[in-house]
Amino acid sequence: MNEAILSRNHVKVKGSGKASIMFAPGFGCDQSVWNAVAPAFEEDHRVILFDYVGSGHSDLRAYDLNRYQTLDGYAQDVLDVCEALDLKETVFVGHSVGALIGMLASIRRPELFSHLVMVGPSPCYLNDPPEYYGGFEEEQLLGLLEMMEKNYIGWATVFAATVLNQPDRPEIKEELESRFCSTDPVIARQFAKAAFFSDHREDLSKVTVPSLILQCADDIIAPATVGKYMHQHLPYSSLKQMEARGHCPHMSHPDETIQLIGDYLKAHV
Amino acid sequence: MDKQLNDAPCGFLALSEEGSIIAANRTLIKILDYEPEQVIGQHMNMMLTIPAQLFCQLYFFPLLKLEHHIEEIYISLKARDGEEIPVLINAIARHDSGASVFDCVLIPMRKRNEYENELLIARNEAQEALLAKQKANAELEIALETLKAKQEELLEINKQNQQFKLNTKRELELARKIQKNSLTEPIVNDQVQIDSYYNASSELSGDLYGYYQIDEHRYGIIILDVMGHGISSALITMSLHPLFQRQITQGLSPVKVMKELDRHLHSLFQNDEEARHYCTAIYLEIDIARQRIDYVNAGHPPALWQDDSGTQHLLHATSPPIGMFEDLEFQSSSLSYTEDGRLLLYTDGVMDPTASCYLFDLLKDHPDSPIADLKEKILTSLQHQKEAHHKSDDECFILVDVK
Repeated sequence: MNEAILSRNHVKVKGSGKASIMFAPGFGCDQSVWNAVAPAFEEDHRVILFDYVGSGHSDLRAYDLNRYQTLDGYAQDVLDVCEALDLKETVFVGHSVGALIGMLASIRRPELFSHLVMVGPSPCYLNDPPEYYGGFEEEQLLGLLEMMEKNYIGWATVFAATVLNQPDRPEIKEELESRFCSTDPVIARQFAKAAFFSDHREDLSKVTVPSLILQCADDIIAPATVGKYMHQHLPYSSLKQMEARGHCPHMSHPDETIQLIGDYLKAHV
Repeated sequence: MDKQLNDAPCGFLALSEEGSIIAANRTLIKILDYEPEQVIGQHMNMMLTIPAQLFCQLYFFPLLKLEHHIEEIYISLKARDGEEIPVLINAIARHDSGASVFDCVLIPMRKRNEYENELLIARNEAQEALLAKQKANAELEIALETLKAKQEELLEINKQNQQFKLNTKRELELARKIQKNSLTEPIVNDQVQIDSYYNASSELSGDLYGYYQIDEHRYGIIILDVMGHGISSALITMSLHPLFQRQITQGLSPVKVMKELDRHLHSLFQNDEEARHYCTAIYLEIDIARQRIDYVNAGHPPALWQDDSGTQHLLHATSPPIGMFEDLEFQSSSLSYTEDGRLLLYTDGVMDPTASCYLFDLLKDHPDSPIADLKEKILTSLQHQKEAHHKSDDECFILVDVK
């Protein structure tokens, strides 16, 4: 079972130390997005990297259209990996929707996590005026789905076959290995729907694990107002404003990201 | 920027790592309907639709950062007047004095975009159709499996049923043998000749008979027919059998014999009206010495006495059937004769649909035939009757020659 999970989620464990730290990618990306950040923690942590089922080098055959309709299905992936590695009180670092996935996992099994580090999180991307501004109107998010779909044209038919119960085609695996941040378009579309059209504002108050929110400048996906909202509604949370601009500080500003995570862990663990 | 690049038949854009516009060629600025100074130094987002901004954050920049080049990325630009312009982008990451610069080439693709839109619609429709077909197939397969399981179940039940039928048939045949064994053997001596025929319609019969020599001069003959036929009727006749055998051989009078049988039937159904069966019967006692026949006919079809001259007398019912009314007083009747004669007793199985016994004529027509020949004739006639009327009832008759 454990081996099966480790291979299913393409789990990589590096480094040593009593404490463990788990890095979760954001929407549609694989674990390599943490390449510039994760190694810095290997010296005194067991560093765990993984891919969600349907992303990166995960086992596409394990993809279940029902399970992955909501972020809870992805949260179960996180819990599965924790159990397979017998992790307890691990630090969970998640980017974007990955932060939300870790948060949902921590609500279900708080004892597995010691701290959450949330990089550019948003509990809800849709505007819900007058009290909430997630940043987007529905048609804008639908436009994103459409754009994703068009960027898959040409190889879409090959990939669509995977979710249509023909998982044993070797060329599919090959395609996935050769592309970063690319997934089967059917899976990506479902993930995008789960990620961008969900509303987890109600879940914030259920979190009991302390957390750090890293807020970038000029992040159109998770604007500063959303970071503030998270901080206000998330118990035991700290909010840190970053110098980094955009939505992917772990890639564009790995040093600052490492520094802030390190500082927080030093102060709180 | 050299003139050729500035006026190349494609847009050109140089971006900082964070997305700030470092340079843009004239072609691109013209497509977007901006002035150069409105564009340079701004973030690329100013020329992108919101979905394109999202897409660039999620894919464009991370991809360029990690792989240093991307090809054929589709996004939509937004011109100054808000018009959307679909473009394909190729880009590379290049190092320029310590910083990363992303050089991008953009080609508008309005017509191709429309074509792709239509392709996408067609593909989605095909995909939905495929899914629907797979779903239908899966449902059909489940239905097929269920059907197969049901069929096997049926086959199994049928097999059990066959076995059950076989066992039942075997049991019934055995029971029929036992019933037949209880019948008395023909009697032939210088006083009487008694022979009989017995055939059960459904393995077991509700008919039964018996004849016994009571003493030197007396013979007791009984025939009875429990209503219905099959197992329940047969069980009742079999329970009556030892009773009448004992009564008759003890020499009890016809009235007493009948009374005992009646009492027995009532006791059988004392607490169960639904199971109640009644029974017709004739018991007659022939006294050779006194040349007299005493009898009780309890609701049974009349027996026939044919004297030596061929005259026929019917021994009609003297009482209602037994097992019907409690405390019934049975009446006996008697018939005296002076010369030889022939008796016929039978059950309703050998009667024709008009309820008259066609055997009477047969007896009349062959007064001199020995009993064995007469029996053959009766059986042939019975066979004809059966074929003519598709009858299926218990058949039973007794022939007695009194000498």
